[in-house]
Amino acid sequence: MASVAIRNVGKRYGPVTVMRGIGVDIADGEFVVLVGPSGCGKSTLLRMIAGLEEITEGEVSIGETVVNDIAPKDRNIAMVFQNYALYPHMTVEENMAFALTLQRTERAEIEKRVRRAAEILGLAPLLKRYPKQLSGGQRQRVAMGRAIVRDPQVFLFDEPLSNLDAKLRVQMRMEIKELHQRLKTTTVYVTHDQIEAMTMADRIVVMRDGAVEQIGAPLDLYNHPDNLFVAGFIGSPGMNFMAGRIENGRFLTKGGETLPLPDGYGGTRTDVIYGIRPEHLTLDVGGAPALVSVVEPTGPEVQVFARLGVEQIVAVLRDAPSVSPGDKVGFSPQIDRVHIFDAASGRRLVAADLDRAA
Amino acid sequence: MRSTLMKQVPLFLILLCFCIVNLTPVAWGFLTSIRQPVDAFAVPPKLIFTPTLEFHWQIWVDKGFWRFLINTAIVSVCAVTISVSIGSMAAYALSRLRSRLASGLLFSLLAMRMFPHILLAIPFFVIAQAAHLIDTYIAMILAVVALNQPFTIWLMRSFFAEVPGELYDSAVMDGCNAWQTFRRVALPIVKPGLWVTTLFSLLLAYNEFLLALVLTRTGTKTMPVAIAEYGAEDISYWSLSAAAAFGIMLPILVFMLFMQRHLVRGMAAGAVKG
Repeated sequence: MASVAIRNVGKRYGPVTVMRGIGVDIADGEFVVLVGPSGCGKSTLLRMIAGLEEITEGEVSIGETVVNDIAPKDRNIAMVFQNYALYPHMTVEENMAFALTLQRTERAEIEKRVRRAAEILGLAPLLKRYPKQLSGGQRQRVAMGRAIVRDPQVFLFDEPLSNLDAKLRVQMRMEIKELHQRLKTTTVYVTHDQIEAMTMADRIVVMRDGAVEQIGAPLDLYNHPDNLFVAGFIGSPGMNFMAGRIENGRFLTKGGETLPLPDGYGGTRTDVIYGIRPEHLTLDVGGAPALVSVVEPTGPEVQVFARLGVEQIVAVLRDAPSVSPGDKVGFSPQIDRVHIFDAASGRRLVAADLDRAA
Repeated sequence: MRSTLMKQVPLFLILLCFCIVNLTPVAWGFLTSIRQPVDAFAVPPKLIFTPTLEFHWQIWVDKGFWRFLINTAIVSVCAVTISVSIGSMAAYALSRLRSRLASGLLFSLLAMRMFPHILLAIPFFVIAQAAHLIDTYIAMILAVVALNQPFTIWLMRSFFAEVPGELYDSAVMDGCNAWQTFRRVALPIVKPGLWVTTLFSLLLAYNEFLLALVLTRTGTKTMPVAIAEYGAEDISYWSLSAAAAFGIMLPILVFMLFMQRHLVRGMAAGAVKG
C-alpha cells in the first residue's frame, strides 16, 4: 500500500492544454473518487497515474517514488476498466493469472493468489469459464480479481460500473466498498456519477474542464460547496438556483419574490445567486409563493416541480403531502442550508464577504 | 410469419440462381473429365454416355501430375506462411499507429493491388532472370508473397481494428511488452480472422497462373500452368485438362471443410461486433 501524490500535473496534446495545475494528495489506504462531467479530464488523470498517458507537466508519486518515467507494470498498480477488458481467449483463471505469468511468478504462488482472490470475490466455481460465459456482474468481479491477485499498492478504477444495469450497479458499488474495507488498498476511482462518488468515497475530487473545482469528504462537498458548479453537481436532484440581489438581509429574486437569508448576510449586493437543495425546502403557507407544475412520487418521498416567480424549482418532500399540479403553495427554505454565490465568479459567498463588500 | 416467407422465398430463388450460375462450369468440368472428348463436345449434348475414370488415372498415374501438386504445395505453403506472418505483424502495427503515416502506407499498399498482374509479371521476370532465379521456388514464392502482401495486411488490419483498445491498455498494465501484447493478446483474439486470411491467401497462391507461367519452367511448374498446357495441345486433351482441374479442387475443398467452423466465425467477426 502507498500514498499517491499528484503535484501540479498538467496535460498538453501538442499546443492544446487540456489539464493544468492538478494537485491531489491521496493518503495510504484512502478511497478517492475523481468525479466530473464527461470531458473534464478525470479519466486522463487516472491514465496518467496508471502510466497509460504521458504526464506532460508536474509530477505523480506513488509511495516515495516519482513515477513519471516508470513503466506501468513497474508502478505496482492495478487497473479495472470500464468494459472490463478481460482477455476473451483466456479462462477466468488465466485472465487473473496473466500478469503474474508475465512476471514469471512460481506456479504454486500464482495458484495460491488466484484461489484467494477467487474466494474473496466468490469466483471459485467460475475459474474454468471464458468471459463470454459470464454475466456482466461476474465479468466485473473477474476484472477486480485480476487486480487483486497482483496485490498492488494502488487500485485504479475507470468507471467500472457504467456498463451494468441500475440494480447490479448498486450491488457492485457495495461490493467494491466492502473489498476496500477488507483490503485497505489505496484506491483511485473515476466516475461521472455523483451518487457513486458520494456513497463510496473517503474523499471526492470534483473536476471540470481539466481543473480541480473542489476536494473534500462527501458531506463537506454537500454541505459546503465552494462554488456553483460543485453545488449543482453534487446532490440529486440538483440544487435550486435563483438569481437576484440581497437587500437589507433579505434575498429578492428577479421576479420579485422574497426569500429569507441566514444571519450575518446583511448589507446590499447585486448579482448573487441563491442556492437551496430540494430536500431543504418545506411547504409553508407563509413561504415564498409557487405554482406546482409536476408531482413525482418516488415512494419514500415526493418530488414537486414548481414555478417560483420566473424560476423553475424542485422540492423533495417527505410524509406524502397532498399537492397536485396547478396548486398554489408556499415554500420555506431551512435557513441554515441556504448558500449564496457570486453570479460572476460562481464562488460561494460567506457572510464575511458581504460585509467587506458592504 | 407471412412477411418472413415473402422475404425468404425470393431470397432463396436468387441464391439458387447464383449457385446454379456458379456451379455449372464446375459440373460441366466434372462431366467432361469422365467422358471421352467425342461425347463431351457432342452437339446436341449427349445425356447418356459411359462414364470413365480413364483421364483421372492418366493424369495422376501416367502423366505424373502429382509433381506439379508438390510444386504448388511448396510454393503455396511457403508463400502463405511468409505473407500471413508479415501481414499480421504489419497489420497489427498499422492498426495501432495513430498517424497519417499509417494511412499513407495502407493506401500505397492498396495502390499496389490495383496494378494488373501482367504489369508486375514482366519486371518480376526481369529481376528473376538477372538474379538467376528463373525456375526456382524462391522466385515464385517471393513473387506470390509480393502479390499477396497488401491483401493480407488489409484484411488482418480490419480484424485488429476491432480489438477494443482497453485490452491493449490492460495488456500494458499487466506488463506485456510490445511483442507480448501482439502475440499473447491481439493475435489470439483475431484468430478466426487469421484463418480467413490464411485461406484467402492460400487460394490466391494456389491458383496463381500468370506468375507461374512467367517464372517457372519444367522444374517448378505449378498445377494451373500444367493444366493449361494440356488443354493447349489439342481439343482431345480437354478431358485430361478437366480431370486435372477437378483434381486440384479437392485439397482446397478438404481444407475448407476442415476449417469451416473457424471460417464462419472469422467472417462473422468482421461484420458484427462479438
